[in-house]
This record gives sequence, structure tokens and C-alpha cells, in this order.
Amino acid sequence: MLARDMQSSSHAYITGSVVESPVAILLVKAGNRSNAMTVSFFSEVAHHPTSLWVSIATSTYTHALIEETQRFSLAVLHVKQKYLALGCGSVSGREHDKCSTLEVYETASGFLFLNGALSSTACRVRDRVALSDHTIFIADILEGQIESRQAHLRHLLLSDL
Amino acid sequence: MSGNFGQVSLSPPRIAINPNRLYPIEPAIRQAGRFAVNVMPVTSKDVMIRLIKVRRREPDKATAVGLEIQEDDLGIPFVDGAMRTIFCEVERVCETGDHTLIIGRVLESRLNPRCTTTQALLYPDVAGDAPSGSAVRQLIRTSLGSTGALDLLKRALYKRRPPPPPDIAGATYQDGGQTESEIAEIVKHGLLDHGRRLRPPPIPRSVSQPVGICVVGTGWGSFHCDLIRKAAPSALLYVCGRDPERTQRLAKAVNASGMFLGLDAALKDDRVQAVSLALPHDLHREAAERAAAAGKHVLVEKPIATTLADAQAMIEAARRAGTFLMVAEDMHFRPVVREAAKRITRGNLGEPLYMLVNAGGIRRPQGWSADKTRMGGGVLIDIGVHYIRGLRLLMGEPDQVIATRAMQVNTKIGGEDSVQLLLSSSVGWQAHMLLSWASTRGHLPDIVVAGEKGTLHLWPGEGHLDFYRAASGDEDLLDKLLARVLPSRLQRDEGRPERIDVADPDRTGYESEMREFLSAVAEQRQPTSLAEDGKRDLEIVLCGYDALASGARTPIPASTVP
Repeated sequence: MLARDMQSSSHAYITGSVVESPVAILLVKAGNRSNAMTVSFFSEVAHHPTSLWVSIATSTYTHALIEETQRFSLAVLHVKQKYLALGCGSVSGREHDKCSTLEVYETASGFLFLNGALSSTACRVRDRVALSDHTIFIADILEGQIESRQAHLRHLLLSDL
Repeated sequence: MSGNFGQVSLSPPRIAINPNRLYPIEPAIRQAGRFAVNVMPVTSKDVMIRLIKVRRREPDKATAVGLEIQEDDLGIPFVDGAMRTIFCEVERVCETGDHTLIIGRVLESRLNPRCTTTQALLYPDVAGDAPSGSAVRQLIRTSLGSTGALDLLKRALYKRRPPPPPDIAGATYQDGGQTESEIAEIVKHGLLDHGRRLRPPPIPRSVSQPVGICVVGTGWGSFHCDLIRKAAPSALLYVCGRDPERTQRLAKAVNASGMFLGLDAALKDDRVQAVSLALPHDLHREAAERAAAAGKHVLVEKPIATTLADAQAMIEAARRAGTFLMVAEDMHFRPVVREAAKRITRGNLGEPLYMLVNAGGIRRPQGWSADKTRMGGGVLIDIGVHYIRGLRLLMGEPDQVIATRAMQVNTKIGGEDSVQLLLSSSVGWQAHMLLSWASTRGHLPDIVVAGEKGTLHLWPGEGHLDFYRAASGDEDLLDKLLARVLPSRLQRDEGRPERIDVADPDRTGYESEMREFLSAVAEQRQPTSLAEDGKRDLEIVLCGYDALASGARTPIPASTVP
């Protein structure tokens, strides 16, 4: 790998990223504790079982909560929600309850969904792959919601931040 | 093409991709241990749309749409025009259902300095078909969506529906996923998308210089003479026959430059560069071998011969002599077949899965063609070879055949007067071929090809084909509502065929077939329709006869056509 290449391709928000990707907010609730984290390392993984993967840095509070509950939800943001991505990506959930500042609601099965996001999906961890500084959580999609009112908007990209 | 990939770690950087387990790229990546993710620029949208539309099983898809593929120092193929290429080494493979999650360690991330844009192409820009419906429909859709009216409408109607599945992961796979048992079933039949290469035949070139050609045979030979006159008016045409009176009459009728009595006389003449054999099937081998030995190029009527041994001997005779042998197979040059093959290759039909042939018409063969031995059979060998060629051009190579026939209606001929074949391929398609000289065909297309995205109807002797687009099946509630509300002129043309006109005035392909032969003679090159293709057509027909005799499913040997 050419370090210079990587440096030049880094975005302002996340240094070291080598590919463009959409941005989402990962919401996790463990008992009374909850957290919201801006993520961009995620993608669809299979059609059956319908599943996705998300890669989370091992040092984060979100990582600890997912390890504890094995459940999370992923809210994909649209281009007008840049402020949410920056807000959730710049402070730690260990110090602030970020969910209290977001328009989130709890589904009947106990997942947190974000109002106004392009889509929200409830996920249950099926497998995990430990890498050096990140863990990939492979998760089944249990339920989901698409906000058709925002369907005409493009999703927020890493390069928008 | 994939829209699902992403970075999974920063230090060291890694990428994850998730190829479908049934696609050939998945085992290829596993085997190679390396791969490249090519981030395409927004300027490549048209190429990517073409790529996504090309048949999934088409080999070398990237090259087919014009992408230039190169290899890096480690032998990893990559797209030359990509905005950024990320070269990876497979670090871990995770089984994740119908797709495989492959994690690759980034070896190099290479920016393309020649790329003029920094904006990456996004999957929604190219995925799926063009937006459905008119601009009015799009406007209505956006308005209803953005105001929330659509949500309200859906909520009201969804109350009447049964509740959604409690576990989407376990219950939903309609969008293309396969369960483990389905994957096992597909793999059991060998359907691993290894692909089949369909090659639309090229348009024959015009004849560049006068060619001396002698038509041998004064019966069907008169038709050959007519074709030569149309395909190359400057050709020096000679005729050859056994009966002096018939031969002279034909020579005069076609304004021939000369005539010969007996094949030897024609073969000795230096003005004759090539011969066109319009003889009984059982005479093809001897005539072709003698012509080749005399250094003449040969066009032989179909079928190439009545046995594979004869066909092989003819091919070898031409090879030994340094001449070429071409079988007069018009299906190879029929413009609507060429157009259909082109569209199938481009992916307009999706994956072609079914072909129906309905050919023949009332015909009462007489003379040698009523003799089963001289003919090599009946309707199957006579017109079956045409449609076998059509099948190979439009669907690919079959690997098994079942054949049945009904009671003989015309008892004056030795061969069968009707037959039906069921041909299939382990790639996943099947074909039904009805060939008959005992009944009228009616007003029906002689070839129908059905694929995932629609059906093509090819009409005999017509300069157009009809395309029936399949309903996509993904119409949502709004589509259905708008279909009831909007005026009919704003609706889709479901159920009505799209007529595709083919500009070529030669509707049957006969003239093009002759032009290809004459231009190949003039240019001293192999014709595009090979003798081996004619032999392969015969091989499949003979398998059909074996199936007819045994009543059993008969395997067809793999093709050896170069």
C-alpha cells in the first residue's frame, strides 16, 4: 500500500478511508443505556438470510454495547442529515446520552429507530469476525422501515462530511 | 458489477466484498486469493448500465461492453478506466448464507491520474431498469412521496393485509436469495454459471472482386444460380449437370458464362475457383472430396452429409488441399436471427430459458428426397439442421435430447414426415422443436425465444421481430393505482409487442449466405460459418434420430467446434 495514496484519499471526517461509502447512525440499547454512533463501514451481506455487516472499532462504547446485547439498529441517513452524522460522530457515548438528542422511537420489539432516516433496520448479531482494530458484526435483519417521504433524496456519503 | 463493498478496518486497511455463491467470480476469487475493487467514475455510467444489462452468464462481460482489463504485477486483473483501484489479498472468507463475505487486505490503493473526475458512480445511478413510466408518473410519485400522502395511503391499506413476517432474515428471499437447500439443488444440476458464449454472426462483407463459381446440380442448383446473381452480379457463373438438355436450359436461363457436363469437366477448368454443390445428400462427400482435390473451394448444401464420418472426411479433404468448405446454412445469416442473437447477448432478454420452434408446412418430397437412405432421413435432417443452428446461435449448445413422432401421414416417403424434439442444457434452458411436412404451420412465428425479461418472436421471411416485454413483477402499490387513474397513453405497453425492424433487405439469409461464401473466395479467407458448425448441426440431428429410435433421453457429446 502506498501511504501517500491513502493519505491523499482520506476524507476530512475519517482519516484512512479508501473507499466512498454511505453514512448511517448505528443505534444500540442495552438496558437503560443506549448509544448512537456514526458509521460508514457497513454493507449488505446476503439476500438469504437477509443480513448486513457493520464494522465497529473495538475501542468504542458502541462495540461494548453490541457485544453485550447482540442487537442493534442501523439508520441510513440522507444528504440533508449531515448534521446528525457530525453530531453523533464527534462525541463519545460514554460521556453523553446522544440518543436523548435524536428523534428516536422504540419499536414493539425493543429496537431504536430514527425518525426521518432513509431506512431503519433492526438487526440481531449472527456472527462476528475479529480484525485488528475493528470487529465485523454480521447480523440478520429482523425488521425494517423505509421512509418513503425521503425516498427521493440521495443518501449521505462519507465525502459529504 | 457490485454495489456492496466497503472498508472494514483502518489499520491495516481491509475491504469486504460479498459475491453471490452461485456466480463464477466467487470461486475465482477464492482460487486466485487476490482481487481488485475498481471504483468507477460517474462518467462511466453508460458503460456500467450496459454491463449490468449484459447476460449474467455471458463470459468476458467486461470486454464485451468495452472495458479495458489489465493486470498488475501480481497478476490481479483491474479496469484501466477506474477512478481508483484497490488491490487486495484475501485474508478471510466467511460463509454468510447465499453470499460469501470475503475480507481482503489492501495491498495497494491506486488513483488513476488520467481520470478527470473525483465523483464516484453510485449503485442507485445504474441499478435496475430505466425509471418506469412517463415523466408525469415520476412527478406524481415524487409529489405523493414527499408530501407523505403515499405513506398515509399505504398505512391505510396495509391495515387490511396480514402482518409482515416477524423475522425478515428467516422469511425473505424473494429478491434473489437462495436457501441452502435451493443452492444445493442448483449445484446438483451443475448450474454454476460457467456461462455459454453466444456469438451473433457478423454481417457478410460484399464481394470485392469477380469470382469464378460453378453450380453443380440443375435442380436446386437453379436457386443457387439465382442467389449468385443477386449476391455478386459480377461473378463468373458456370453450371454443371449430367443431362445436357437440362444443363443447357439452366445455363441459358441464368445467363451463365459457360456450362460443363459432369463434375470432372468443371473441376479441370481454371476459370472455376469454387463450386456450389446442390446435389442429393448422399453425393455430398464424393463431390466435395473431388472438388477439394482439384483445389476448388466448396459450398455444399445442407446437411453437410448424412453421416458424421462423411462430414469429417469432407472437412479433412479441404484441410489437406488448403481450400475451404462451407455449408449452405441460411439460418446463420438470417437477419432476424442475427438481431435476436445480438439482443440476447446484450442482455435485453435476460437469460434465455426457453425456445420454441414450429417449422415445416405441407411438403411432399419426390425423387431422391423421398428416399430415406439418400436423404439421410426425413424432415428432421432436412429442416432440423436449420433450426439446430438457430438453437445454437440463440441458446447455446444442448447436451441432451428426447424425440418422439406421430403416425406417418405421408406414406410415399421413406423418412419421417413429422417429429418433435425436446432439447435441453445443463446450463438451465430447454427447447421444444416441432418439425412437420404433414401439417400447415398456421400464422405462427417459427422461432420463439423466451427469457427472464421478455419474449422474442421471429417470423419466417419477415424483416422484423416482435419483442414482448415481461411484466417486471415489482410494481408497487402506487404503480397499480396510477395504472387505474392515468390515461392509457401514459401507461406501459404491457401485452403489446415492440416491433423491431431489421434494415437488411435479405429477409431469409440465403443471399447473405452466398455473399459470405463468394467474398471468402475473393479474399481467400475462411468463411464465418465453418464446416465444423455444419458437422455439429448434423451431430445433434443424428442424436435426435438415436433418441427417436430408442425412445430414451440421449446425451449429446460436447461441441468440438473451434
